Amino acid sequence: MMSASAIALSACEEPQVDAALFDSIQQCIDNKDFSAEICESNFVAAREQHAQVAPKYRSQADCEADFGGEQCETAPYRTESGGSVFMPLMMGYMMGSMLGGRGGMAAQPLYRSADDPKSFRTADNKNVGGRTGVTKVARSATARPSAKASTVSRGGFGARARGFSAGG
Amino acid sequence: MQRIPVAERADWRETAREHGFDFHSIDNDPYWDESAYYRFSLRQIEEDLEGPTEELENLCFAVVERAVADQEILSRLGIPASYWEYVAQSWHNKERNLYGRLDFSYDGTAPAKLLEYNADTPTTLYESSIFQWVWLEQAMERGLVPAGADQFNSLHERLLEALPQLGVSGALHIACASDSVEDRGTIEYIEDCARQAGLNTHLLYMEDIGVDQDGRFIDLDDRIITNLFKLYPWEWILQEEYGQHVPASGVHFIEPAWKMILSNKGLMALLWEMFEGHPNLLPCYFEDDPRASALGDDYVRKPLLSREGSNIRVVQDGQVSFENDGPYGAEGHVCQALHPLSQVDGNHAMVGCWLVASQPAGMCIREDRSLVTTDDARFIPHIILD
Repeated sequence: MMSASAIALSACEEPQVDAALFDSIQQCIDNKDFSAEICESNFVAAREQHAQVAPKYRSQADCEADFGGEQCETAPYRTESGGSVFMPLMMGYMMGSMLGGRGGMAAQPLYRSADDPKSFRTADNKNVGGRTGVTKVARSATARPSAKASTVSRGGFGARARGFSAGG
Repeated sequence: MQRIPVAERADWRETAREHGFDFHSIDNDPYWDESAYYRFSLRQIEEDLEGPTEELENLCFAVVERAVADQEILSRLGIPASYWEYVAQSWHNKERNLYGRLDFSYDGTAPAKLLEYNADTPTTLYESSIFQWVWLEQAMERGLVPAGADQFNSLHERLLEALPQLGVSGALHIACASDSVEDRGTIEYIEDCARQAGLNTHLLYMEDIGVDQDGRFIDLDDRIITNLFKLYPWEWILQEEYGQHVPASGVHFIEPAWKMILSNKGLMALLWEMFEGHPNLLPCYFEDDPRASALGDDYVRKPLLSREGSNIRVVQDGQVSFENDGPYGAEGHVCQALHPLSQVDGNHAMVGCWLVASQPAGMCIREDRSLVTTDDARFIPHIILD
């Protein structure tokens, strides 16, 4: 054990951990490594986070520029001035591998960007590869994604500054 | 205090470029002007400027202490009633201030007279702190000024000492409005100091700030802003759309909100009311105060929130001798006794004394061809030599 971990560290790569990636509940069930119950509860947990952690945009065009045509949906938020907020569709989910009897990491939603549609990305834009089923991902990608439900508006400061120095 | 013409360093523009001082000229007119310098004696600096600067800062604190407990004063200063509690809290919580600049009319002999306090958003900082010092060192090396000269300038060291004492935990966001090169240069210098002092910083524009559904301010990467140095006037912040989010945002602002009492020209009337006759103060009254008639035929009328000399009117012998247009004045005015700036060959010199963490820390001189220092003013370096 000691030597294995020493080799892993000397390779100077980020530590890898086991995880399972799926497009859908059905794909998880068909995989047969996990019970239907596990597949479903992890999907629900990822789905619940989706609206909160997905990247947010103030225009559909900006969102589609990053995630591709018809790959975005309206987020359940409004800008302060009442405008719509857009976010990419959830394209899959990541959960713990359950290997060795551990429950492992918390589930989280996955996305696919327009410039690299074969790979999954977390809500924090960590590439976790394109392989579904049990696989290895960087440990940092399994961290809980940050909430990005946040921006409801921008630009509420600056109106008075047009053409004038604020200094003195 | 003498104004001494001197040869410019032939390579000063290259030196400015190397230092990243890129607002040394504005619309091709020089802003940095080393064709002359001012020479002061050590006594003039220590007794006439440094000492009064420290003393006046304490008088200003007495004004703030009174103002935050007096709704009539807060109303007079034009601070919206919905923010009175927030402003008072910033003072009672002892939120620390970073820097400010007192602007004086001083001729080398009579007591320096305070004209106003740039307490909230002073610029002129980088050139005072760094480029003026570089000039002194090179000018001595090249024999342009006598060897052994000194300068009233500990700005850089004081900023590095003060920044870690502000109680910033987590990252410090540093912001200004997007369309002023000078403001941008100032916050880049502040960021440089903050990093040297070990703080983790992010620069951004005020226009880029966002609000999340919990009313917290966020940057362009949706990071929550917890500490914000803003080179942006408090009165603008409170008038704009996001002002309403400020009290509940939990943001630690630098400068703190109580500084808006000091950056208001009403400060000058309040100081005179509380410390009438102080040698470094000029008679000053709110315009609608009947006592203002005591100023007679020579006075300066200033909007409470004017910047860069805008909307200033100078009255001499009952006649308007100077008037500048601009967007200010709806908030009311003060009238201050006229005390013309020291003048040599049509160059009117304003003496600015810096405070860092409320301690005197340096000086800058700006000259203007007009009676009032405006955004056309030029920065003239100084030396101390007995």
